[in-house]
Amino acid sequence: MQVTCVRIGDSLVVAPEGRVDESTWKDFDSQLAGAVVQASRDGLPTLIIDLSRLDYMSSRGLRALTSAGQQGRTVGVTIRLAAPNEVMREILEISRYDRLFDIDDNVPTSGGP
Amino acid sequence: MIVRFWGTRGVLPVAATAAQVRTKVANALLAANGLDLKSRKDIARFIDENLTFAGRATYGGATSCVEIDAGNSSFFLCDMGSGLREFGLDALARRPGVRGGKYNIFLSHLHWDHIMGLPFFLPASDPNTQIVIHSCHGNAEQALRRQQAEISFHRPFEEWAADFHFITMQAGQDYVIDGMTVTAIAQDHPGASFGYRFTDGAGRSAVYSTDCEHNIDDMYQEDAFVAFFANADLIIADTMYSLAATSSTKENRGHSSNLVAIDLCRQAKAKRLALFHHDPLHDDAEIEQMHEDSLRYEKLSRDGAPLEVLCAYDGLEVAL
Repeated sequence: MQVTCVRIGDSLVVAPEGRVDESTWKDFDSQLAGAVVQASRDGLPTLIIDLSRLDYMSSRGLRALTSAGQQGRTVGVTIRLAAPNEVMREILEISRYDRLFDIDDNVPTSGGP
Repeated sequence: MIVRFWGTRGVLPVAATAAQVRTKVANALLAANGLDLKSRKDIARFIDENLTFAGRATYGGATSCVEIDAGNSSFFLCDMGSGLREFGLDALARRPGVRGGKYNIFLSHLHWDHIMGLPFFLPASDPNTQIVIHSCHGNAEQALRRQQAEISFHRPFEEWAADFHFITMQAGQDYVIDGMTVTAIAQDHPGASFGYRFTDGAGRSAVYSTDCEHNIDDMYQEDAFVAFFANADLIIADTMYSLAATSSTKENRGHSSNLVAIDLCRQAKAKRLALFHHDPLHDDAEIEQMHEDSLRYEKLSRDGAPLEVLCAYDGLEVAL
Protein backbone atom coordinates (compact mmCIF):
# COMPACT_ATOMS: atom_id res chain seq x y z
CA MET A 1 0.00 0.00 0.00
CA GLN A 2 1.09 3.56 -0.66
CA VAL A 3 2.32 5.35 2.49
CA THR A 4 3.99 8.73 2.67
CA CYS A 5 6.00 9.86 5.66
CA VAL A 6 6.95 13.51 6.32
CA ARG A 7 8.19 15.53 9.28
CA ILE A 8 5.99 18.42 10.39
CA GLY A 9 7.33 20.35 13.36
CA ASP A 10 8.18 17.89 16.09
CA SER A 11 5.91 15.20 14.66
CA LEU A 12 6.33 12.51 12.08
CA VAL A 13 3.20 12.29 9.89
CA VAL A 14 2.41 8.97 8.23
CA ALA A 15 -0.27 9.01 5.53
CA PRO A 16 -1.50 5.64 4.22
CA GLU A 17 -3.77 5.49 1.17
CA GLY A 18 -6.65 3.24 0.18
CA ARG A 19 -7.93 0.37 2.31
CA VAL A 20 -6.37 -1.48 5.20
CA ASP A 21 -7.92 -4.93 4.96
CA GLU A 22 -6.90 -8.59 4.88
CA SER A 23 -4.73 -8.04 1.80
CA THR A 24 -2.91 -4.92 3.01
CA TRP A 25 -2.75 -5.05 6.81
CA LYS A 26 0.66 -6.73 7.00
CA ASP A 27 2.22 -3.96 4.90
CA PHE A 28 0.41 -1.33 7.01
CA ASP A 29 1.61 -3.02 10.21
CA SER A 30 5.17 -3.06 8.92
CA GLN A 31 5.05 0.58 7.76
CA LEU A 32 3.75 1.74 11.14
CA ALA A 33 6.45 -0.20 12.99
CA GLY A 34 9.06 1.42 10.77
CA ALA A 35 7.59 4.89 11.36
CA VAL A 36 7.73 4.43 15.14
CA VAL A 37 11.41 3.49 14.84
CA GLN A 38 12.05 6.50 12.60
CA ALA A 39 10.26 8.93 14.96
CA SER A 40 12.23 7.57 17.90
CA ARG A 41 15.51 7.72 16.00
CA ASP A 42 14.82 11.34 14.95
CA GLY A 43 13.87 12.31 18.51
CA LEU A 44 10.26 13.14 17.58
CA PRO A 45 7.78 12.64 20.45
CA THR A 46 4.68 12.28 18.27
CA LEU A 47 3.69 10.08 15.36
CA ILE A 48 0.56 11.34 13.61
CA ILE A 49 -1.32 8.91 11.40
CA ASP A 50 -3.06 10.95 8.72
CA LEU A 51 -6.24 9.02 7.91
CA SER A 52 -7.56 11.47 5.31
CA ARG A 53 -6.71 9.24 2.33
CA LEU A 54 -7.88 6.01 3.97
CA ASP A 55 -11.23 4.64 2.78
CA TYR A 56 -11.56 1.75 5.21
CA MET A 57 -9.75 -0.14 7.96
CA SER A 58 -10.56 -3.68 9.13
CA SER A 59 -10.06 -5.10 12.62
CA ARG A 60 -6.55 -6.22 11.68
CA GLY A 61 -5.63 -2.68 10.66
CA LEU A 62 -7.05 -1.36 13.92
CA ARG A 63 -5.05 -3.90 15.88
CA ALA A 64 -1.95 -2.83 13.94
CA LEU A 65 -2.62 0.64 15.40
CA THR A 66 -2.60 -0.91 18.86
CA SER A 67 0.68 -2.69 18.15
CA ALA A 68 2.22 0.58 17.00
CA GLY A 69 0.88 2.32 20.11
CA GLN A 70 2.44 -0.34 22.34
CA GLN A 71 5.71 -0.12 20.44
CA GLY A 72 5.64 3.68 20.69
CA ARG A 73 5.16 3.62 24.46
CA THR A 74 8.39 1.63 24.86
CA VAL A 75 10.41 4.28 22.99
CA GLY A 76 8.61 7.44 24.10
CA VAL A 77 6.61 8.08 20.92
CA THR A 78 2.92 8.98 21.27
CA ILE A 79 0.57 8.11 18.42
CA ARG A 80 -2.29 10.41 17.41
CA LEU A 81 -4.83 9.89 14.66
CA ALA A 82 -5.90 12.72 12.41
CA ALA A 83 -8.43 13.70 9.75
CA PRO A 84 -10.57 10.54 9.50
CA ASN A 85 -13.27 10.63 6.85
CA GLU A 86 -16.86 9.78 7.77
CA VAL A 87 -16.41 6.01 7.34
CA MET A 88 -13.16 5.91 9.28
CA ARG A 89 -14.66 8.03 12.06
CA GLU A 90 -17.55 5.57 12.32
CA ILE A 91 -15.19 2.57 12.42
CA LEU A 92 -13.17 4.21 15.18
CA GLU A 93 -16.39 4.81 17.11
CA ILE A 94 -17.83 1.30 16.56
CA SER A 95 -14.56 -0.33 17.62
CA ARG A 96 -14.25 2.11 20.58
CA TYR A 97 -10.79 3.01 19.26
CA ASP A 98 -11.84 6.63 19.74
CA ARG A 99 -11.26 5.85 23.43
CA LEU A 100 -7.79 4.41 22.85
CA PHE A 101 -6.33 7.17 20.67
CA ASP A 102 -6.55 10.95 20.54
CA ILE A 103 -8.13 11.95 17.25
CA ASP A 104 -7.53 15.36 15.68
CA ASP A 105 -9.86 16.78 13.05
CA ASN A 106 -6.97 18.00 10.92
CA VAL A 107 -3.35 17.19 10.21
CA PRO A 108 -1.10 20.02 11.43
CA THR A 109 0.52 22.08 8.69
CA SER A 110 3.35 23.15 10.97
CA GLY A 111 4.35 22.78 14.59
CA GLY A 112 2.64 20.30 16.96
CA PRO A 113 -0.91 18.92 16.81
CA MET B 1 -30.66 -28.13 11.63
CA ILE B 2 -32.06 -25.97 14.42
CA VAL B 3 -29.77 -24.22 16.89
CA ARG B 4 -31.30 -23.34 20.25
CA PHE B 5 -29.64 -20.98 22.67
CA TRP B 6 -30.25 -21.92 26.30
CA GLY B 7 -27.53 -19.76 27.84
CA THR B 8 -25.76 -16.85 26.14
CA ARG B 9 -24.07 -14.96 28.98
CA GLY B 10 -20.38 -15.10 29.75
CA VAL B 11 -18.59 -15.63 33.05
CA LEU B 12 -21.46 -15.30 35.51
CA PRO B 13 -25.25 -15.79 35.45
CA VAL B 14 -27.13 -12.50 35.75
CA ALA B 15 -30.76 -11.39 35.80
CA ALA B 16 -32.50 -8.12 35.06
CA THR B 17 -33.19 -6.19 38.26
CA ALA B 18 -36.60 -4.92 39.38
CA ALA B 19 -35.52 -1.38 38.52
CA GLN B 20 -34.47 -2.41 35.00
CA VAL B 21 -37.80 -4.17 34.34
CA ARG B 22 -39.70 -1.18 35.72
CA THR B 23 -37.83 1.12 33.34
CA LYS B 24 -38.76 -1.11 30.38
CA VAL B 25 -42.43 -1.06 31.40
CA ALA B 26 -42.40 2.71 31.86
CA ASN B 27 -40.71 3.27 28.49
CA ALA B 28 -43.21 0.95 26.77
CA LEU B 29 -46.17 2.78 28.31
CA LEU B 30 -44.71 6.10 27.24
CA ALA B 31 -44.24 4.80 23.71
CA ALA B 32 -47.88 3.62 23.68
CA ASN B 33 -49.22 6.90 24.98
CA GLY B 34 -52.27 7.90 22.98
CA LEU B 35 -52.49 4.69 20.99
CA ASP B 36 -55.76 2.77 20.99
CA LEU B 37 -54.62 -0.70 22.05
CA LYS B 38 -57.78 -2.66 22.81
CA SER B 39 -56.80 -6.27 22.29
CA ARG B 40 -53.85 -8.53 22.95
CA LYS B 41 -53.38 -8.68 19.18
CA ASP B 42 -53.08 -4.86 19.02
CA ILE B 43 -50.63 -4.94 21.91
CA ALA B 44 -48.55 -7.71 20.34
CA ARG B 45 -48.31 -5.73 17.09
CA PHE B 46 -47.35 -2.58 18.99
CA ILE B 47 -44.64 -4.47 20.87
CA ASP B 48 -43.19 -6.00 17.71
CA GLU B 49 -43.33 -2.84 15.61
CA ASN B 50 -42.60 -0.09 18.08
CA LEU B 51 -40.22 -1.43 20.69
CA THR B 52 -36.62 -2.51 20.20
CA PHE B 53 -35.55 -5.94 21.45
CA ALA B 54 -34.01 -4.41 24.59
CA GLY B 55 -37.21 -2.42 25.12
CA ARG B 56 -39.56 -5.38 24.93
CA ALA B 57 -37.44 -8.32 26.10
CA THR B 58 -34.11 -9.32 27.61
CA TYR B 59 -31.07 -11.13 26.27
CA GLY B 60 -31.17 -13.28 29.40
CA GLY B 61 -28.51 -14.20 31.85
CA ALA B 62 -27.91 -17.97 31.82
CA THR B 63 -24.34 -19.00 31.03
CA SER B 64 -23.21 -20.89 27.93
CA CYS B 65 -25.39 -23.73 26.70
CA VAL B 66 -26.36 -24.26 23.04
CA GLU B 67 -28.28 -27.13 21.49
CA ILE B 68 -27.57 -28.32 17.94
CA ASP B 69 -30.67 -30.19 16.76
CA ALA B 70 -30.24 -31.96 13.45
CA GLY B 71 -33.04 -34.42 14.05
CA ASN B 72 -30.61 -37.10 15.24
CA SER B 73 -31.61 -39.83 17.65
CA SER B 74 -29.50 -38.19 20.37
CA PHE B 75 -29.22 -34.66 21.72
CA PHE B 76 -26.19 -32.51 20.89
CA LEU B 77 -25.16 -29.75 23.27
CA CYS B 78 -22.33 -27.29 23.58
CA ASP B 79 -21.28 -26.58 27.16
CA MET B 80 -23.13 -27.04 30.41
CA GLY B 81 -23.50 -23.50 31.72
CA SER B 82 -26.48 -22.55 33.85
CA GLY B 83 -28.65 -22.67 30.70
CA LEU B 84 -28.39 -26.47 30.89
CA ARG B 85 -31.06 -26.54 33.59
CA GLU B 86 -33.71 -25.01 31.33
CA PHE B 87 -32.63 -27.22 28.44
CA GLY B 88 -33.03 -30.32 30.64
CA LEU B 89 -36.58 -29.38 31.58
CA ASP B 90 -37.46 -28.64 27.96
CA ALA B 91 -35.90 -31.89 26.70
CA LEU B 92 -38.07 -33.86 29.12
CA ALA B 93 -41.19 -31.90 28.20
CA ARG B 94 -40.55 -32.43 24.48
CA ARG B 95 -40.87 -36.20 24.87
CA PRO B 96 -43.66 -36.79 27.39
CA GLY B 97 -43.76 -40.35 28.67
CA VAL B 98 -40.42 -41.23 27.08
CA ARG B 99 -37.70 -42.17 29.54
CA GLY B 100 -34.00 -41.93 29.02
CA GLY B 101 -32.25 -40.71 25.91
CA LYS B 102 -28.71 -39.98 24.87
CA TYR B 103 -27.03 -36.62 25.37
CA ASN B 104 -23.78 -35.80 23.56
CA ILE B 105 -22.24 -32.83 25.33
CA PHE B 106 -19.20 -31.00 23.95
CA LEU B 107 -17.19 -28.87 26.36
CA SER B 108 -15.29 -25.81 25.17
CA HIS B 109 -13.33 -25.90 28.41
CA LEU B 110 -13.79 -26.59 32.10
CA HIS B 111 -14.19 -23.15 33.59
CA TRP B 112 -16.99 -22.82 36.09
CA ASP B 113 -19.46 -20.91 33.93
CA HIS B 114 -19.35 -23.70 31.32
CA ILE B 115 -20.03 -26.63 33.65
CA MET B 116 -22.13 -25.15 36.47
CA GLY B 117 -25.43 -26.37 35.03
CA LEU B 118 -24.73 -30.08 35.44
CA PRO B 119 -25.72 -30.35 39.13
CA PHE B 120 -29.20 -29.13 38.10
CA PHE B 121 -29.62 -31.25 34.95
CA LEU B 122 -32.76 -33.27 35.63
CA PRO B 123 -32.31 -35.92 32.87
CA ALA B 124 -29.16 -37.09 34.72
CA SER B 125 -31.46 -38.42 37.47
CA ASP B 126 -32.90 -41.03 35.10
CA PRO B 127 -31.08 -44.42 35.02
CA ASN B 128 -32.20 -44.80 31.38
CA THR B 129 -30.26 -41.69 30.37
CA GLN B 130 -26.84 -41.90 28.72
CA ILE B 131 -24.64 -38.81 28.92
CA VAL B 132 -21.47 -38.68 26.83
CA ILE B 133 -19.10 -35.86 27.70
CA HIS B 134 -16.84 -35.01 24.75
CA SER B 135 -13.92 -32.77 25.62
CA CYS B 136 -10.44 -31.99 24.36
CA HIS B 137 -9.38 -31.59 27.98
CA GLY B 138 -8.27 -34.88 29.50
CA ASN B 139 -9.43 -33.86 32.98
CA ALA B 140 -13.11 -33.19 32.23
CA GLU B 141 -14.31 -35.99 34.51
CA GLN B 142 -12.21 -34.66 37.38
CA ALA B 143 -13.67 -31.16 36.92
CA LEU B 144 -17.26 -32.42 36.95
CA ARG B 145 -16.74 -34.65 39.97
CA ARG B 146 -14.95 -31.90 41.87
CA GLN B 147 -17.70 -29.29 41.44
CA GLN B 148 -20.21 -31.64 43.08
CA ALA B 149 -17.92 -32.80 45.87
CA GLU B 150 -18.79 -32.05 49.50
CA ILE B 151 -18.11 -28.49 50.68
CA SER B 152 -19.14 -27.17 47.25
CA PHE B 153 -22.38 -29.15 46.75
CA HIS B 154 -24.61 -31.45 48.74
CA ARG B 155 -25.06 -34.19 46.13
CA PRO B 156 -21.93 -35.98 44.89
CA PHE B 157 -21.46 -36.85 41.21
CA GLU B 158 -21.55 -40.58 42.09
CA GLU B 159 -25.24 -40.30 42.98
CA TRP B 160 -26.33 -39.50 39.44
CA ALA B 161 -28.46 -42.35 38.11
CA ALA B 162 -27.53 -41.70 34.47
CA ASP B 163 -24.80 -43.61 32.69
CA PHE B 164 -21.89 -41.18 32.13
CA HIS B 165 -19.10 -41.66 29.57
CA PHE B 166 -16.11 -39.42 29.01
CA ILE B 167 -14.39 -39.16 25.63
CA THR B 168 -11.25 -37.12 25.04
CA MET B 169 -11.17 -35.68 21.53
CA GLN B 170 -8.19 -34.52 19.51
CA ALA B 171 -8.36 -31.17 17.76
CA GLY B 172 -8.23 -31.37 13.97
CA GLN B 173 -9.72 -34.86 13.70
CA ASP B 174 -13.18 -35.55 12.29
CA TYR B 175 -15.47 -37.61 14.53
CA VAL B 176 -18.77 -39.07 13.29
CA ILE B 177 -21.08 -39.25 16.30
CA ASP B 178 -24.67 -40.46 15.92
CA GLY B 179 -24.87 -39.08 12.39
CA MET B 180 -23.14 -35.76 13.11
CA THR B 181 -19.56 -34.97 12.02
CA VAL B 182 -17.74 -33.02 14.71
CA THR B 183 -14.32 -31.38 14.49
CA ALA B 184 -12.51 -29.38 17.16
CA ILE B 185 -10.03 -26.49 16.96
CA ALA B 186 -7.68 -25.27 19.69
CA GLN B 187 -8.34 -21.71 20.88
CA ASP B 188 -6.46 -19.12 22.90
CA HIS B 189 -7.94 -18.93 26.41
CA PRO B 190 -6.43 -19.27 29.88
CA GLY B 191 -6.10 -23.03 30.42
CA ALA B 192 -6.95 -23.57 26.70
CA SER B 193 -10.37 -23.86 25.09
CA PHE B 194 -11.71 -25.58 21.98
CA GLY B 195 -14.22 -24.66 19.32
CA TYR B 196 -16.40 -27.24 17.58
CA ARG B 197 -17.78 -27.50 14.07
CA PHE B 198 -20.92 -29.61 13.63
CA THR B 199 -21.97 -30.85 10.18
CA ASP B 200 -25.18 -32.81 9.77
CA GLY B 201 -26.04 -35.43 7.16
CA ALA B 202 -27.48 -32.79 4.85
CA GLY B 203 -24.23 -30.82 4.91
CA ARG B 204 -25.48 -27.96 7.10
CA SER B 205 -22.90 -26.73 9.55
CA ALA B 206 -22.72 -24.69 12.74
CA VAL B 207 -19.56 -23.62 14.55
CA TYR B 208 -19.39 -23.00 18.30
CA SER B 209 -16.37 -20.85 19.10
CA THR B 210 -16.57 -19.24 22.49
CA ASP B 211 -13.99 -18.21 25.07
CA CYS B 212 -11.53 -17.59 22.27
CA GLU B 213 -9.15 -14.66 22.11
CA HIS B 214 -7.79 -13.46 18.78
CA ASN B 215 -4.78 -11.71 20.17
CA ILE B 216 -2.85 -8.93 18.44
CA ASP B 217 0.30 -11.04 18.59
CA ASP B 218 -1.44 -13.95 16.86
CA MET B 219 -3.05 -12.18 13.90
CA TYR B 220 -0.91 -14.22 11.54
CA GLN B 221 -2.59 -17.37 12.91
CA GLU B 222 -6.15 -16.31 12.17
CA ASP B 223 -6.22 -18.03 8.79
CA ALA B 224 -6.74 -21.29 10.70
CA PHE B 225 -10.04 -19.91 12.02
CA VAL B 226 -11.05 -18.65 8.58
CA ALA B 227 -10.58 -22.22 7.31
CA PHE B 228 -12.47 -23.69 10.29
CA PHE B 229 -15.39 -21.27 9.72
CA ALA B 230 -15.41 -21.76 5.93
CA ASN B 231 -18.89 -21.55 4.36
CA ALA B 232 -20.60 -22.40 7.66
CA ASP B 233 -24.32 -21.73 7.96
CA LEU B 234 -23.85 -20.29 11.44
CA ILE B 235 -20.87 -19.13 13.50
CA ILE B 236 -21.50 -18.72 17.23
CA ALA B 237 -18.63 -16.52 18.34
CA ASP B 238 -17.32 -15.00 21.53
CA THR B 239 -17.99 -11.26 21.17
CA MET B 240 -17.83 -10.31 24.81
CA TYR B 241 -15.90 -7.06 24.41
CA SER B 242 -15.33 -4.19 22.02
CA LEU B 243 -12.21 -4.43 19.86
CA ALA B 244 -10.63 -1.61 21.84
CA ALA B 245 -11.22 -3.46 25.12
CA THR B 246 -9.63 -6.67 23.83
CA SER B 247 -6.65 -4.59 22.73
CA SER B 248 -6.22 -2.84 26.07
CA THR B 249 -7.86 -3.40 29.45
CA LYS B 250 -9.24 -6.85 28.60
CA GLU B 251 -6.22 -8.16 26.71
CA ASN B 252 -5.20 -11.72 27.63
CA ARG B 253 -8.57 -12.43 29.29
CA GLY B 254 -9.29 -15.04 26.62
CA HIS B 255 -12.20 -13.31 24.88
CA SER B 256 -12.82 -11.58 21.60
CA SER B 257 -14.78 -8.83 19.90
CA ASN B 258 -17.64 -8.33 17.47
CA LEU B 259 -15.41 -6.75 14.81
CA VAL B 260 -12.93 -9.62 14.70
CA ALA B 261 -15.80 -12.12 14.50
CA ILE B 262 -17.35 -10.24 11.57
CA ASP B 263 -14.04 -10.05 9.71
CA LEU B 264 -13.34 -13.77 10.20
CA CYS B 265 -16.87 -14.70 9.09
CA ARG B 266 -16.65 -12.44 6.05
CA GLN B 267 -13.33 -13.98 5.01
CA ALA B 268 -14.74 -17.47 5.62
CA LYS B 269 -17.87 -16.67 3.58
CA ALA B 270 -20.03 -17.83 6.49
CA LYS B 271 -23.74 -17.10 6.18
CA ARG B 272 -24.65 -16.03 9.72
CA LEU B 273 -22.92 -14.88 12.86
CA ALA B 274 -24.45 -15.04 16.34
CA LEU B 275 -22.91 -12.65 18.85
CA PHE B 276 -22.43 -14.75 21.99
CA HIS B 277 -20.99 -14.85 25.52
CA HIS B 278 -22.31 -11.44 26.50
CA ASP B 279 -20.50 -9.48 29.18
CA PRO B 280 -22.34 -9.84 32.53
CA LEU B 281 -21.57 -6.17 33.18
CA HIS B 282 -23.61 -5.16 30.13
CA ASP B 283 -27.33 -4.47 30.43
CA ASP B 284 -29.76 -5.12 27.58
CA ALA B 285 -29.32 -1.65 26.12
CA GLU B 286 -25.54 -2.07 25.95
CA ILE B 287 -25.82 -5.49 24.30
CA GLU B 288 -28.30 -4.05 21.81
CA GLN B 289 -25.90 -1.21 21.06
CA MET B 290 -23.16 -3.75 20.36
CA HIS B 291 -25.54 -5.52 17.97
CA GLU B 292 -26.35 -2.27 16.17
CA ASP B 293 -22.63 -1.42 15.93
CA SER B 294 -22.01 -4.88 14.52
CA LEU B 295 -24.72 -4.50 11.87
CA ARG B 296 -23.21 -1.17 10.86
CA TYR B 297 -19.67 -2.59 10.69
CA GLU B 298 -20.89 -5.52 8.59
CA LYS B 299 -22.33 -3.04 6.07
CA LEU B 300 -19.17 -0.94 6.02
CA SER B 301 -16.94 -3.97 5.53
CA ARG B 302 -19.15 -5.94 3.11
CA ASP B 303 -17.42 -6.95 -0.11
CA GLY B 304 -19.72 -9.72 -1.33
CA ALA B 305 -22.80 -11.49 -0.05
CA PRO B 306 -24.14 -9.98 3.18
CA LEU B 307 -23.38 -11.66 6.49
CA GLU B 308 -26.46 -11.97 8.69
CA VAL B 309 -25.49 -10.81 12.19
CA LEU B 310 -27.73 -12.06 14.99
CA CYS B 311 -27.44 -11.28 18.66
CA ALA B 312 -27.99 -14.47 20.65
CA TYR B 313 -30.38 -14.43 23.57
CA ASP B 314 -31.67 -17.10 25.93
CA GLY B 315 -34.50 -18.77 24.03
CA LEU B 316 -33.39 -17.87 20.49
CA GLU B 317 -33.92 -20.57 17.87
CA VAL B 318 -32.15 -20.36 14.53
CA ALA B 319 -33.23 -22.66 11.68
CA LEU B 320 -30.40 -23.35 9.25
